Order: sequence, then C-alpha cells, then structure tokens
Amino acid sequence: MEKINEILDKYFRAETTLAEERELKQYFASQNVKAGHESYRNLFVAFDQEKYETAVAPLKKVIINQHRVKQLWIKTFSYSGIAAALVLALWVQRPQQDENYAIIHGRRIEDPEYVQKYAEKKLNYVNEILKDGLSPMRSMEMVKQNLQPLKKIRETHDKMIEIERNHNINN
Amino acid sequence: MDPKQFNTQILSLSDRLFRLAKSILRNAEAAQDAVQDLNLKLWEKRSALDEIENMPAFTMKSMRNLCLDTIRQQREEDELPVEIEFTEPNPYQQTEQKDLVKRIRNMIDDLPELQRTVIRMRDVEGMELSEIADITSLSENAVTVNLSRARQKIREKIIYEQNRVEETVWKR
Repeated sequence: MEKINEILDKYFRAETTLAEERELKQYFASQNVKAGHESYRNLFVAFDQEKYETAVAPLKKVIINQHRVKQLWIKTFSYSGIAAALVLALWVQRPQQDENYAIIHGRRIEDPEYVQKYAEKKLNYVNEILKDGLSPMRSMEMVKQNLQPLKKIRETHDKMIEIERNHNINN
Repeated sequence: MDPKQFNTQILSLSDRLFRLAKSILRNAEAAQDAVQDLNLKLWEKRSALDEIENMPAFTMKSMRNLCLDTIRQQREEDELPVEIEFTEPNPYQQTEQKDLVKRIRNMIDDLPELQRTVIRMRDVEGMELSEIADITSLSENAVTVNLSRARQKIREKIIYEQNRVEETVWKR
C-alpha cells in the first residue's frame, strides 16, 4: 500500500513515468484495491473506458467515394446517352413516315397518347437521374453522406425494364 | 501519398483523433464531423503528406487546431464563453450523474481545454510528454504543469465528492 501511495502522490504531481502509470492502472483494475484507494478507482476506470471509444462511422468511405464519383459520372452519362438516343429514335421514326406511329423496341405503336406518355416517362427518369446523380458532385461532403443516387439509378433502371416488360406483355 | 498509404497512415488514427476531438468539443457528433473534415482536408492535400515525418503527431496537432477553430467560431456565433467552470450539479444533474465513472468523466470535461487535452493524451492515449509537447506546441515543462494541475483538480473534486457522500451517510 505504501508503494502505491508513493506512486499516487507522484502521479498527481505529474512526475510518474509511463511504466509507473501502467502499474497504477493494473493495480486499480485488479481485485486488490485497498479501501483507502477506492475513491480513485473510478478515475482509472474512466480513463480505461475512454480508451475504447471509437469513431462512430469509419472514415474509409472518403477513399471509396473517390471511385464512386467516377462511377457516378460514367453511369449518369451512360443513362443520359441511352435516353437521348431513345428519344431521338422516337423523334426520327415519326416524321420519316407520313403516318401517326412510332417504333419502340421494334414494335409499331400507333397510339400517339401512349407514345407521348412513354417518352415523357423516360425523360422524367433521366431528369431525376441527372438531378439526383449530379447533386452529390457539388461537394465531397455530400457524396460522403449520400450514396442514395447510385441506388436511385439502379431503381430507375429496374423500373424502366419493368415498364418495357409490361408493355411487351400487353402487346 | 496513395489511397492505400492514406488508409494505413491516416484513417487508422481515426479513433484516436475522434477521442481527442470529443475531449475538446465535448460532443460526440461534433467530434465525428471534425474527424471527417480533417480527413477530407488531408485527402485533398495528400500529395504534400509524404514530407511529414511524424504522421500521428501531425494529425493530432491538426485535429486540435481544427477543434479550437470550431470552438472559436461557435463562440463568435453564440457569444458564449468557451470554458465552463465546474459548478455544483443541480438535483436533476445529480440524479442523472449517479454513475461515479460518468461523474469523473464530466469532471475531466469541465477542465479548461488545454488541461483536459493534456490529461487525456497522457492517461487515455498513454503518450510521452515530448509527444504531447509537440502536438500542443508547448514545452515539456508546460505540459507537466498543465498535467499536474489537471490531475490535482480531479483529485480535489474526487475528495470533495467523497466527503459529501460521507457527510450524507453520517446525517442519516
């Protein structure tokens, strides 16, 4: 007990070495703490608890997002390119013939209302992709916090395929 | 510095940086943001990081400076004093702080910024006085003085708490 008292006094004067401080920590973590030292036990327990505190969210996504930004650009331009080609195809198909129909996926669609809705839907999706997809690039901070745009692109893509599938079934 | 080196040398220090930021800012969420900010800043300047000799000391120093800037900005916005001295907890706080360990952690949080930073660097992180001096831009002697003051204050508060508990028991 005398030895611990000595080290404790040195500790509070900030004269202990790291080795002596480790000795104190071990003593206070043991079951042999004397009654006279009991009040200091919580001090060392508090330090020990803080030692195991970790950052809530690991920060590795900072690096990951560098790659994701590139992927996001590629995906965004790919989808906008596909959509632009599709709209152009619909546009070109119609005036070439002097009739009121369009070709969608090799099928002749004569219902102008359906064709218009189909084109509008595609454009809306592209608009959403651009709106959601480009906004995170304004700053890395937003990219870091929000990986949703990638999810939305995938969801939109799935929805487009579903609409086309339904259309094929109906026809 | 390439992404792999960045992961190994800087992101691996995140927990340590978080604890330092939390100690200075006294808020886990703000500390998390501060660590994210620092990592982004370091990532942007990664090409210059190869010249740093002691990366842990450099990042800890940068973290402390960033936190102190945050506090300064907050003070300007809120016009509130940075340091809040220890005051007697009200009955609500007393109920909330039943946990003795939690009370000690609050005692440390109530210390002035430099003292709580130094005591945690030493007693939580187990850092050498020379390392702490490097990070805080103080002399080793000044670190020892601050560490001693911090530990003495905690000791006084622990004794005060102990006496109060004993008085309460005697009154019963």
